[in-house]
Amino acid sequence: MRRLLALGCALLSLSAHASDLVKDVRARLVDAPLVRGRFEQKKTVTGFKKPLVSKGDFLLARDQGVLWNTRTPFASTLTLTRKSLSAEQGQGGAAYHLDSTKEPALAAVNELLFALLAGDVTTLQKRFKVEGALVGPAGWRLELTPTDAGLARVFKHIQLEGDGYVRQVRMEETRGDVSVILFDQLTRTPPPDATETERLGK
Amino acid sequence: MANRLAILWALVVLAVGVHQVHFWRAARLDTDVLALLPEDEQAPEVDAATRKLADEAGRQVVLLVGAKDWASAQQVADEATRALARASDVLEPAVVDTSALDLAVDFYRPYRDRLLTPAQRQWLTRATPEELGGTALMKLYQPAGARMTDWNADPLGLWPDWWQARAAETSARPRDGRLWLSGEGREWVLLTWKSKVSAFALGDGARVTAAVEQARARVEAAVPGARLVASGVPLYAEAAAAQASWEMSTIGLGSLAAVLILVWLTFRSLRPILLVGVSLALGCAVALSVTALVFDRVHLLTLVFGASLVGVAEDYGFHYFAARQGKAPSERGPVMRSLLPGMALALVTSVVAYLALGVAPFPGLRQMAVFSAAGLTAAFLTVVCWFPSLDRGTLPVTAFSARFSASITRWPRITSTRGWWLTGAAVAALVAVGLWKLEPQDDLRQLQGAPANLIADQRELGRLLGLPSPAQFFLVEGDSDEQVLAREAVLKQRLDALVAERVFAGYRAVSDWLPSQAQQREDAALSARAEARAVAAVSESTGEAPTRAAFAEEPLTPSRFLAGPAAATIRQQWLGTLGARQYSVLMLRGLNDPQQLPRLEEATRGLEGIRWVDKTAEISGLLGRYRRIMGGLIVAGYVAVLLMLGTRFGRQAWRAWLPSVLGTLITLALFGWVGAPLQLFTVLGLVLLLGMGVDYGIFLLEHPGDGAAWLAVALAGVSTLLSFGLLALSATPALRSFGLAMLLGEVTIWILTPCFRLPPKKATP
Repeated sequence: MRRLLALGCALLSLSAHASDLVKDVRARLVDAPLVRGRFEQKKTVTGFKKPLVSKGDFLLARDQGVLWNTRTPFASTLTLTRKSLSAEQGQGGAAYHLDSTKEPALAAVNELLFALLAGDVTTLQKRFKVEGALVGPAGWRLELTPTDAGLARVFKHIQLEGDGYVRQVRMEETRGDVSVILFDQLTRTPPPDATETERLGK
Repeated sequence: MANRLAILWALVVLAVGVHQVHFWRAARLDTDVLALLPEDEQAPEVDAATRKLADEAGRQVVLLVGAKDWASAQQVADEATRALARASDVLEPAVVDTSALDLAVDFYRPYRDRLLTPAQRQWLTRATPEELGGTALMKLYQPAGARMTDWNADPLGLWPDWWQARAAETSARPRDGRLWLSGEGREWVLLTWKSKVSAFALGDGARVTAAVEQARARVEAAVPGARLVASGVPLYAEAAAAQASWEMSTIGLGSLAAVLILVWLTFRSLRPILLVGVSLALGCAVALSVTALVFDRVHLLTLVFGASLVGVAEDYGFHYFAARQGKAPSERGPVMRSLLPGMALALVTSVVAYLALGVAPFPGLRQMAVFSAAGLTAAFLTVVCWFPSLDRGTLPVTAFSARFSASITRWPRITSTRGWWLTGAAVAALVAVGLWKLEPQDDLRQLQGAPANLIADQRELGRLLGLPSPAQFFLVEGDSDEQVLAREAVLKQRLDALVAERVFAGYRAVSDWLPSQAQQREDAALSARAEARAVAAVSESTGEAPTRAAFAEEPLTPSRFLAGPAAATIRQQWLGTLGARQYSVLMLRGLNDPQQLPRLEEATRGLEGIRWVDKTAEISGLLGRYRRIMGGLIVAGYVAVLLMLGTRFGRQAWRAWLPSVLGTLITLALFGWVGAPLQLFTVLGLVLLLGMGVDYGIFLLEHPGDGAAWLAVALAGVSTLLSFGLLALSATPALRSFGLAMLLGEVTIWILTPCFRLPPKKATP
């Protein structure tokens, strides 16, 4: 197995152009420890004719994690922390929980989602080749290509657009599925309530 | 006649010379400790399993480089890599082929539906349709995840879990383009290198070890508290070769120097030195050639042990020159003829004793037996065939030898007086108490002479990496592949309970990678049922009609699996057909507590075709069994030797016999008094003692009252003592205890033998 794992892990090369672009984008982003907002996700999945659309709200607490509450077409919650990924459905009792402390591959995906929502370009740079441009007086657009073999197995490209916040994420998976997530009504308040704090503490 | 023998022997020597040139050109030396271990008498399949598991590693050097945090761990890993890369003439990084995992994933893809983990099997069996549907929907709508297939080929997202369970067989995980693990207070990077050299010649300079040590120094200098842990067959081989080189030269040259100095002191002439030197050189050369011809490969420890031959094979030369000293050159022939019966008898007892070592089924021991017996015979033949022809000049008696020869008359002689009886009783009491205190020990570790730091590193590495132990495993047997895999599955259910209790960390089984066909059918049906519900729930929710993907019609068969890219990971555990049966090995990880071993043995209770193999316990058992067998053999040997001596010496035979018996008993008693354990190798030393100790008695009885015989015995005793005493310096505990037994026994016998000599009046014929 050691061999397979060794094989599965190609050497990571840091993006050579940790250039001005990254610095500029970071300058345009609001440095917020907490972001709330609504999302609309359109996922094009092989085997489905129409895109799968889901809507809901989310909370990003930079040091704790992400709560992703889907409201339609069905209610479910996804909790993403540094330690785990867990999902629960209101009715039906379906739930799953993945511990990522022992599985860096899962931890890497968690970290990626964090970084994508927060526009954490420095972290993204570790695993992606970062290209893009500034748009207008306040906007920017980034094109990410994975350099990490593990991520390259999952993602082909990721596009990120925004201004002070990340406004749109487009993830193109290696197997052909494409997800586009749009964010709006973004605010920096209120802080997490008791239920949310408990979920993030998992 | 004598000339013809000399020529004949010269031809043999010539042939050996040619063979020696060949041998050293392509030195086929064995450094593997495993080669010393006994073959399993009852179960050749256990042997096959052990060997296959050991072959796996081969040239690999595995390193863990660790520091307090991940960033420094990566930094020191780079330091280590740079240092190792500098030794590119002996080391190369193990090739990282990124396509192999993809190939394995593609290989398994058509069989995805029949690959389930035990937890999944449980969940799919008890989950409600709502739960299945809900899970499928959540995973479908999840913003990102590590999916490995199209949605319809794995609607419940089961497959990544199955792969994760396979990855759990080791604790190393890919992280930031490296293999990472966390443990014992540090973050570690796993590095795998391969040695480019296959054979490890003597005195070659431990180049792989040097490179690893350099890397270790760099790592420790770069970040405070950083560590490098390394293990691998090449490191062991180099340590063994270096150790053997040193021991061979110490023992061999040490006893050679002693022999030559003794010869010089006694005879003050160059000729005896040269001739004794020739007999020793030929003895060693013939010994090596015969061993190489009989065994194909010669083990390093054979050579170390063989170096002690120098101190034994010189006896015949000593006897000749001691008897010849002060006589006219024309008397060479008669001198040799008068010596021949005693020398032949001594040779026979020694050779028989050496060959008796080979009774135990330890290949290494058999080599040592053949080596020594051949060497002794060759030295004997050299003396008998060549010495009378080559030793032409005069050889006057020297002052040293005259004084020494005369010393026999002053040596105490045991007579039937009150004082001697009291001494005898006191010795008997001390011996009895010593014997009573004697503790047997049959620990496998007596065979392991590797440096402690290598063993410590290997333990730490195994612990951190969670590597399976090659010494304890389950051997699964069946009529067919299918039966073997099915039996593994039954065993695994019992083991899962022990894993849950943390008796050990986990296991590695062929059936995890290749489930039995019955299991595949069952799991395929289970996943088909559950996924149909999941797909139904998703189509209801989305208003679309997705269809579940189709999978392979045929089950994954052993032949397909073995031809595929995933087989490499588990191949050494699939023994295949041995005789008419099929075998596989199920290995355990994280088995650190020896007290838990009985529970594992218990796990096989009532299961057919499954055997718990504890190699360590088995070899210890074997060592103990042969310790007792060889002990019995010694008793029988002494009876046989007494009978043999009786045919030649009649009623006086006990005089040659008793010193050896006493020497053996006193040695054992000394071991008991100082608390040294009684091991198989101690007993083997005593076997050899039986063959050699008697020699002194034989010579003194053959030539009663003859100062020359005493001189020869004294010289032979001192040199034998030295060579076996030097063996006690060996790093291999087995050789050490062997040497110690010989040393103590020889001293005692050597002191005692003249005490039992014939009284003067009987001595004069």
